[in-house]
Amino acid sequence: MDLLQNPEFGDKMVTLMAALVLVLQIAMVGQRWLVMNIRLFGAQSFLLGAIAAAIAWYNHAPHIYAAAGMTVAVKAILVPILLERLVDRIDIQHEIAPIINVPLSIVISGGLTLVAYTVGESFYHPHAREASLGHNTLAVAISLFLIGFFMMLNRRKALTQVLALLTLENGVFLAAICLTYGMPLIVEIGVFFDVLVAVLVLGILVFRIRESFESMDVSKLRRLRG
Amino acid sequence: MTGTFLKVLAQFALLLILAPLVSGFIKLLKARLQMRRGPGLLQPYRDIHKLLQKGMVIPDTASWLFSATPYVVFLATLVAGLMVPMVAADTPAGQLGGALAVVYLLGLGRFFLALGGLDTGSSFGGLGSSREMTIAALAEPTLALAVFTVAIGAGSTTLSEMAKAAIGQQWRFLAPSQMLAFAALFLVLIAETGRIPVDNPATHLELTMIHEAMILEYSGPYLALIEWGASIKQLLLMTLLINVFWPFGLPAAWSPSGILAGLGWLMLKLVILSCGIVLVETSNAKMRLFRVPELMAVAFTLGALALVSTFLF
Repeated sequence: MDLLQNPEFGDKMVTLMAALVLVLQIAMVGQRWLVMNIRLFGAQSFLLGAIAAAIAWYNHAPHIYAAAGMTVAVKAILVPILLERLVDRIDIQHEIAPIINVPLSIVISGGLTLVAYTVGESFYHPHAREASLGHNTLAVAISLFLIGFFMMLNRRKALTQVLALLTLENGVFLAAICLTYGMPLIVEIGVFFDVLVAVLVLGILVFRIRESFESMDVSKLRRLRG
Repeated sequence: MTGTFLKVLAQFALLLILAPLVSGFIKLLKARLQMRRGPGLLQPYRDIHKLLQKGMVIPDTASWLFSATPYVVFLATLVAGLMVPMVAADTPAGQLGGALAVVYLLGLGRFFLALGGLDTGSSFGGLGSSREMTIAALAEPTLALAVFTVAIGAGSTTLSEMAKAAIGQQWRFLAPSQMLAFAALFLVLIAETGRIPVDNPATHLELTMIHEAMILEYSGPYLALIEWGASIKQLLLMTLLINVFWPFGLPAAWSPSGILAGLGWLMLKLVILSCGIVLVETSNAKMRLFRVPELMAVAFTLGALALVSTFLF
């Protein structure tokens, strides 16, 4: 039990999980299959929930447990199930066709991470030990944000853009949790509700786009139809 | 002076003897996992013995490069092996060079192997060489980045200093930079030893072979040297991965009792790493050649992230 009380160990674990979140994000950029992408997103959200739980444990802040539980329930389980059902229902081609080819996208993501680290470095205070648990994950949060944006720009299909938006939201959540040790619970609940509704609405929208254009390629949405 | 000489001799012997055993073990494990009986554990030794006694066929079009290649490949790999800590953190030829020397001695071997493949003028050799160089051009920077990541942590590019630094620090293996560098290096290990997602060591199918295509013209003792050199390279990269990232149980200096313990730990960790490699090999299909750069781009990005992480975390 000593190990679990040791804040240094906690710091290592939070940093490690944050790094894994980043690796999963880059894996999503490199992954060609839609279903695999959704599952990677689920795994990423699960790790995010674990980070929140670890921060709650080491800071003795019970209300963050609620945020952690909701992250796992909504983003790691509910949203992936909804998206996979959507993929099944509209019976689309499972391969993602990004605009920039995969190796270059991965290297660009690496470059964006560098940018994020440069920005995040100015917030990094290695000597402030007391309040430091997981503070250095800000750079990871910023890179999730940037790579999420890049993924949205880089993909043509509406569904994959929804997925990119969700990873971007994960970045915002990570930043919130590591900088403020959790926003007020009511804000968190609002955000989760937002995400869920957004996924539902976007899901219906994607379905409708598919119905009327027989494709999910958003670049075909150029004309109004009656 | 005699001490150093003995250490060099011991490490040579260890490299030469252990390398075919590791190859044999991986083959056996893979066969068992696929419900086959597979060749015996000692089959690589028998193969080398058999090849060394056979005659050679040298193509008429071959120049001196063809004959020089097996020696260069074998010796460059063997000398690189002297700089990698195996049973003790102290390496016998640490003064000669560190991580960079190891990376580029392996590069020298690969360069000559590619030349040897081109030299005979056969189309398969050229095809193999071009594929090998395509992959190497992507794997080499990744290897260098991953090694530099560890070198920054240790404050030295000498591999024995890296291993010593790793022995001293607790929780170090949990640091993200170490994890990312380990992942990058594992992908490099798979690419460099020609394992399944990248290359298939057990096939001679012209569409897919890379390493085998380059050495298609070699026979007899030359082939034995090249195969032996390849298995030493595999052992060397595995040992590098093991002793730089998990130096648990590795003694700092050479002493009779310490070496035995070090050897025991090395064997145990080699078995574990081999199991990992075999699992990857059996659970994946070979990639299309044009997909390999994607895998290597992932490895490169992991290496770059590892290097960046050392400055922040």
